Amino acid sequence: MDGKEILSLDMRGVSKQFPGTLAVDSVDFQVRPGEVHALLGENGAGKSTLMKMIAGSFSDYTGDIYIMGEKVELNSPAAAKAKGVGMVYQELSLAMPLTIAENVLAGRIPTKGKIFADKKAMKDQTIECLKRVGLGHLDPFACIKEISQQEAQLVEIAKTLGNNPSILVMDEPTSSLSREEVKLLFGIIDNLKKQGLAIIYISHHLPELFEVADRITIMRDGKKIGTYNIDEVTTKSLVEMMVGRPVDDTAVEVQNKVFGEEKLRVEHLTRHGFFHDISFNVRANEVLGIGGLSGAGRSELARGIVGADAINSGKIYIKGKETKIRSMSEALANGIAYLTENRKTQGLALRISIGENILSPLLKKHTKNGIYSAKRGESDVLAVMKELQVYPPDPTVTVGNLSGGNQQKVLLGKWVATKPQVLILDEPTRGVDVGAKMVIHDTIRRLAGEGNAVIVISSDLPELVALSDRVKIMKEGKFIGELIKGDLSEESVLLAANGEGDKLSGNIYAS
Amino acid sequence: METSMQANKEKIDVRKREVGKISSIINKLGVYVLVIALMILGTIISPKFLTASNFMNIIQAVSLLGMVAAGVSFITYSGNFVDMSIPCIMAFSGMIAVDTLRYGIVVSIVCGLLTGSAIGLINGIVVGKLKANPIIWTLSVAFVGNGFMRWFYSGKQIYPDVKGGAAADVFINLSRTDVFGRIPLIVIVMITFMVLGQFVMTKTKFGKQVKLIGSSYEVAKMTGINVNKVVCGAFILSALATSIAGIFLTSLAKTGAFYNGEGYDFNAVTAIVIGGMTLNGGRGDVVGVLGGVLVIGLLSNVMTLIGINTFSQSIVKGIIFIAVVGINARSLRKLGRDDA
Ligand SMILES: Nc1ncnc2c1ncn2[C@@H]1O[C@H](COP(=O)(O)OP(=O)(O)OP(=O)(O)O)[C@@H](O)[C@H]1O
Ligand SMILES: [Mg+2]
Repeated sequence: MDGKEILSLDMRGVSKQFPGTLAVDSVDFQVRPGEVHALLGENGAGKSTLMKMIAGSFSDYTGDIYIMGEKVELNSPAAAKAKGVGMVYQELSLAMPLTIAENVLAGRIPTKGKIFADKKAMKDQTIECLKRVGLGHLDPFACIKEISQQEAQLVEIAKTLGNNPSILVMDEPTSSLSREEVKLLFGIIDNLKKQGLAIIYISHHLPELFEVADRITIMRDGKKIGTYNIDEVTTKSLVEMMVGRPVDDTAVEVQNKVFGEEKLRVEHLTRHGFFHDISFNVRANEVLGIGGLSGAGRSELARGIVGADAINSGKIYIKGKETKIRSMSEALANGIAYLTENRKTQGLALRISIGENILSPLLKKHTKNGIYSAKRGESDVLAVMKELQVYPPDPTVTVGNLSGGNQQKVLLGKWVATKPQVLILDEPTRGVDVGAKMVIHDTIRRLAGEGNAVIVISSDLPELVALSDRVKIMKEGKFIGELIKGDLSEESVLLAANGEGDKLSGNIYAS
Repeated sequence: METSMQANKEKIDVRKREVGKISSIINKLGVYVLVIALMILGTIISPKFLTASNFMNIIQAVSLLGMVAAGVSFITYSGNFVDMSIPCIMAFSGMIAVDTLRYGIVVSIVCGLLTGSAIGLINGIVVGKLKANPIIWTLSVAFVGNGFMRWFYSGKQIYPDVKGGAAADVFINLSRTDVFGRIPLIVIVMITFMVLGQFVMTKTKFGKQVKLIGSSYEVAKMTGINVNKVVCGAFILSALATSIAGIFLTSLAKTGAFYNGEGYDFNAVTAIVIGGMTLNGGRGDVVGVLGGVLVIGLLSNVMTLIGINTFSQSIVKGIIFIAVVGINARSLRKLGRDDA
C-alpha cells in the first residue's frame, strides 16, 4: 500500500461489545476501491458484527472509521447509507407483504406532485434495478412473498445497488443461491468492481473465495488474524488461520450400510403447479438426497409431505401404513420432522432463548398434569447443544444474539431433540463454517445410523454427495432419475439436474 | 472431534460472559422500580398516602382494570396487540346480566359471561383463522356491538333493582362485598386472576404456545402448533376475564349501559405496555402487567393528591405510554435486537 492511495474504507482499532461478549476486538480493516475483499472466519468470529458497524447498526462502537479518507460517525443506518455504504444482509431483510418495487425503492419512491406515488416511474426504476441482477423479467408489483427465496436474495442485492453505494457489503450472499445464480452474481460483482466499488464479501464457501476475491482478511474470536492477497493463501492455510491450529484432513471412511424397514413411502404425490406424480421411499438407516436446481420444487415437495401445504392427490405411507398428514402437528405425531430452509422466518423464533426454541416442538411431551416444565427437557437440550457444539453453550441465550452458523445448529438441534423417525432437512448447513458443517454431518449420520430415515435437500453438491446413500434428481416438479452411492459425484448430480443424465451412460435410472 | 471441542473451550475462556448486572436487574424488576418510585413520591407529598386504607383504595380502584389487563395480556403476548372491543364486552356482558336477573343470580352471571365469551370467540375466529387485522376487526366489533346495544335497549340504561327482583340485591352487592372482614371481593378476584394468569402464561403448554406464536407466527406454525386454535383461545380467555370485570362494573354502577367500560381499552394497553410486554408479542409476563396496573393506580392517586384533574391525568398517562414504547424500542435496538 503506498501512502497516497485513498482507501474506500479504513477502520482503525474498532471494537464492539455486546453484554457478555466482545464481538469485535480492536480490529484494523482496510478496503481499496475496486477490490473484492473477502472476510473469513468461523461461526461467531465477529464478521457480521464488523459489517453491521459500517452499516450503522450500532451507536456504541469504539474506534475510528474513515470512508474515502474522511472520518465518519456511522451511528445510524441512514448515516451509513448517506456515506455510501450498501449492505446485503446475511438474513433477508425485505418486507414480505410489500411489493418488489416498494422494497427496492424503499425511502425513495418516485412521486407525482410530491404526494402520489408515480406508478409508471416506480415500475421503470424497479425494472432498471432488477436488470442489474438479471431479474428484469420479474413483475415489479409482485409481493416478495410470491417470489422464491433465491430471487428474493437477488432482489435484495438490487435494492442495495439502487442506492448507488461506494462500498458494498455482502454477508453470505450465495448461501441460498444455486450455481447458475452464483455465476450470475459473480458477473455482477465483476462489473461493479470495474466501476470502482469496494466490495466486502463474506462467505464460508472457500472455493468461491478463490474465484471472486482479490484480498482476504481472516478473523478469529473477534480479532483480526491477518490480511493477505488471495494468491498468498491456500485452502489449508485459510482453515488453519480460521480455527487457530493445524488441521489434518483424514478422510472419513465409508462403510457399506445395511438398510432396515421402510420408514416412509410416497406414491404419486401431486400438488398442481409445484410437483407432479412423485413416488419414492426411504428406509431405516438410509439418507436419501434430493438434488436439483433451485426452483425444481424440492422444498414444496417437503412441505407437501409434512402437511404444511395441501396436496391434490397421492398417498403417504408411514412404516407401510397409509397415513393422512394434514398439518405439521400431524407430521410430528407420526415421527416426521422438517427442518425448513428459511431459518429466520420459519425455523427459529429469534427473540426467545436457545432452550425455548429447542423445546418448542416438545411442549406436549413436557406437560404433566397440566403443568409444563422446561426442566424436564433440560438434559435433552444440553445434550443436543453439546453434540452440535453450539456457542455460547448456554441455553438461556436469546437465539437472535447467536451468529448465523450457531443459529443453524440450534435449528437442527430443535428437530433432532424430537427424536424423529423420518427427518427431512432442507439446506441443513446454510451459513455454517467448515468445522460446523462436519459436526452437523456427523449428527445426521448418527441419526440415520440409529435406525431412522433422513431426507436431505441441498444445493450444496459436495454435501449431497457426501451424505446421501441415494439421490433423487428433481426437475420442474418431477423426479427425473436416481443416482446410487457408487455413481454419485458432484458432476453426475449436476449433469442429471440439468436434464443431461443420458450423457452419464447408464448411471441414471428412470424412477 | 476432540480437538474441536477443545477449541470451543478455549473460546469460552477468551470471551467472558459477564452480563451487565445492574441493567439486567432493572430489566427484570422493570416496572416495579417505577412502582416504588411512585410510592416514595406519594409518601413525600402527603401524609395520608402511606396508610392501609389509602392502599386499599388504590388497589380497589384498579381491581377491574387488573382483571381486564390480566386477560388481555394474552392477546398482546400472542402478538395480536390488543382487543379494542374491551368496553363493548364489558358493557354487553353487564347489560345481559342485568336483563336476565329475573331468572336468578346464577343464570344472570352465566348469561353475562357467555355473552362476553361469545364476542371473544368471534374475535378469535376472525383474527385467528381468517387473519383479520386484530385492531381493525375488534374496533369494528366495538362499533357494531355498541350500536346493537343502543338499538336493542333503545339507548336507555337498565337498572338491576328494576329488572331483578330478589337477585338484584345480590347483584348490586357483588362489588360491595368484603371477604375475610375487610378485603373487597373484587380485589381478591383481581389477585386471583393475576396469579392464575401468571401460572397459565409461564407454566402451561398453552402459555408457551402463545409465547411462540407471539415471537414468530410462521415459526410456530412450522413447529406444529395449531396457531388458529391457540389465538382463538387467547381471545376467549381475554373476553372471559373482561366480562367478569364488566359484570362487577355494572354491579358497581348499579346500571347496565352501553357506555360502561369506556376507557378500559386504552388503560389496559397502557398497563400492559408499562408492565414490560412489548406490543409485538412474546415478551413480558403477568407479574409485570400487575406492576403496570399498580403504576396506573398509584399515578392517579398521587396526581389526585397533588390536585391534578382527571382530564390532565389522562394526558400524563398518554405521555407515559409513548415514553415507555419509545424507551423499549431504543433499549432493544441497543442490544442489537432490532427485530423487535
Ligand atoms: N445482539 C447480540 N447480542 C449479544 N451477542 C451477540 C449479538 N450479536 C452477535 N453476538 C455475538 O457476537 C459474536 C460474533 O457474532 P457474529 O454474528 O458477528 O459472527 P459471524 O462471524 O458473522 O458468524 P457466522 O459465520 O456464524 O454468521 C458471537 O459470539 C455472537 O454470539
Ligand atoms: Mg454472520
